Amino acid sequence: MEKFRVLIVDDEVDFVETIVKRLIDRGLEVDGVHSGPEALDLMDTKDFDVVILDVKMPGMDGIETLRAMKKKRPLTEVIMLTGHGSVESGIQGLQLGAYNYVMKPVPLDDLLKQMTQAYERKLIEEERSRQAGSQAIPERV
Amino acid sequence: MPSQPKVLIVDDEERFRTTMCKLLTVRGLEASTVGSGKEALEKLRDTPHDIVVLDIRMPEMGGVQALSEIKKIDPQIEVIIMTGYASVDTAKEIIKLGAFDYLLKPYAIEELIERIDAAYDRKTERSRLKAKSSQDS
Amino acid sequence: MSYRDFHPYLLSLLILFTAVPLAFAASGFFALGAVMIAAIAFSHTRNLLRATQIAEQRRRAADEQLCRTEKLSTVDEISAGIAHEINNPLGIIAQETQWIQHLLQSEPLKDAKTVGDLRDSLREISIQVDRCKEIVHKLLNLAREMEPVIQGADINDLIKNMVALIEREAATKNIRVTKLLEPDLPIVYSDPPLVRQVVLNLLINATHAVDKDGTITVTTKSNENDSVEIAVTDTGSGISKENLNKIFTPFFSTKPQGKGTGLGLAICRGIIERLGGRISVTSDVGESTTFTIHLPIHREPEGAK
Repeated sequence: MEKFRVLIVDDEVDFVETIVKRLIDRGLEVDGVHSGPEALDLMDTKDFDVVILDVKMPGMDGIETLRAMKKKRPLTEVIMLTGHGSVESGIQGLQLGAYNYVMKPVPLDDLLKQMTQAYERKLIEEERSRQAGSQAIPERV
Repeated sequence: MPSQPKVLIVDDEERFRTTMCKLLTVRGLEASTVGSGKEALEKLRDTPHDIVVLDIRMPEMGGVQALSEIKKIDPQIEVIIMTGYASVDTAKEIIKLGAFDYLLKPYAIEELIERIDAAYDRKTERSRLKAKSSQDS
Repeated sequence: MSYRDFHPYLLSLLILFTAVPLAFAASGFFALGAVMIAAIAFSHTRNLLRATQIAEQRRRAADEQLCRTEKLSTVDEISAGIAHEINNPLGIIAQETQWIQHLLQSEPLKDAKTVGDLRDSLREISIQVDRCKEIVHKLLNLAREMEPVIQGADINDLIKNMVALIEREAATKNIRVTKLLEPDLPIVYSDPPLVRQVVLNLLINATHAVDKDGTITVTTKSNENDSVEIAVTDTGSGISKENLNKIFTPFFSTKPQGKGTGLGLAICRGIIERLGGRISVTSDVGESTTFTIHLPIHREPEGAK
């Protein structure tokens, strides 16, 4: 499987540790953080292809974080994670540009499949914006 | 001696309606505000007004419905509709339903005052004619 | 009147024609029998004809609705919506600046209250400018997001995924969600996140329509013409015939205006049409409503080797 860069964002420390380890075992380049602001700081210095983002976090919640991420790096794909179906943020998240929305607990293989699809989409969008050249919508910082 | 019209402003955006009220008051008009069609009808049943400035898009009771309800309470009231976007068709329909005129947001306060004056003129003229015809008969 | 409308008359005439010689050859009894048969044949044929005509009218109406929706340009509709939204903050800004002009005429200008009012107006202007920025950002996002990125999508998985999102809350209102998904549904080359948004929107509308104690059924089916069909049926109060024609128009809603509960059916239609598909609705008032999405299976994925 092609190696791509993943960021896990969830306030549940154990969950992050487990997922990061498992994904690294599968050959991906993975980082894990426990809050929205941490994620955004890290994204300033490092480029990620796919972000796995928890919806419910104390302080800056998932939707706020998603919004900020999309402003910062519009091409990075985000998959939202929720522990219990949260309908309002479901539609909001998808409208704000989340690639998909999955419910915990999500089997690792399913998550991998989603992440790979999301990564493919990123590649397509990057190619498209490269071709479009000056037509591409400039990134807002 | 021409009197000043009593104006009721109906808009669900609080800041918008309170500032409009201030702008009209310093020009010498008697203005008050409410935040919904329902409140407007309550107020109009209580106190007679001359002009209603009405936003067309409001939650629960839309402007068009409010317009017809207002006319039921007092057919003499003149209504000026405010809209953020109006097609020619919508404008025609509004007038057909009995509104005096419509204004596109954003507008200059002078425009609104000019329309209020014109509406008030029509209202006083109509009631004068009505009084005259009932006198003659 | 078309040629077909004469069928009942022709048929009964034919039978009558056989009745007359019968009457002469046999007896009045037989003739009477033949006349009765003619009468029955007449009414039966006429009813059949009427039924097929009504069915055809319905089909034609549904077609017309689809045709008309395809003609309307979604970009225009969305820009109209944005224009409307932006004019509200602009209206506030215009008024605040007019109020500031009034305040600047005060004597003395440095009066504490006047300065306070001036600051307050300027702050409000700043707030409204931010609001405008959000709206423009939303428009740009919408434009970019509505440009489909084609990938292979497992529609059944997608539906299971979206149903899982609403199932919990639906259960609390005693709404049952049933999935009847055609096994081995072909992979559809479309834009999965966009299709997700539309499906989720239909599901949410369905839960609102049912309100409580009811069923939502989602079905998938593949069609002969290389397309896949997704249908969402709810046992809500249905949609009246007048509203049915308008339901895909922008800003149309049977719910009071308030916080956006979803994309709006106009945007859903725009998305599905961009994906080369179509969306339609049928409803039995007081019984049920069904929204159906058709999506073409084959489209070359971008950058296909």
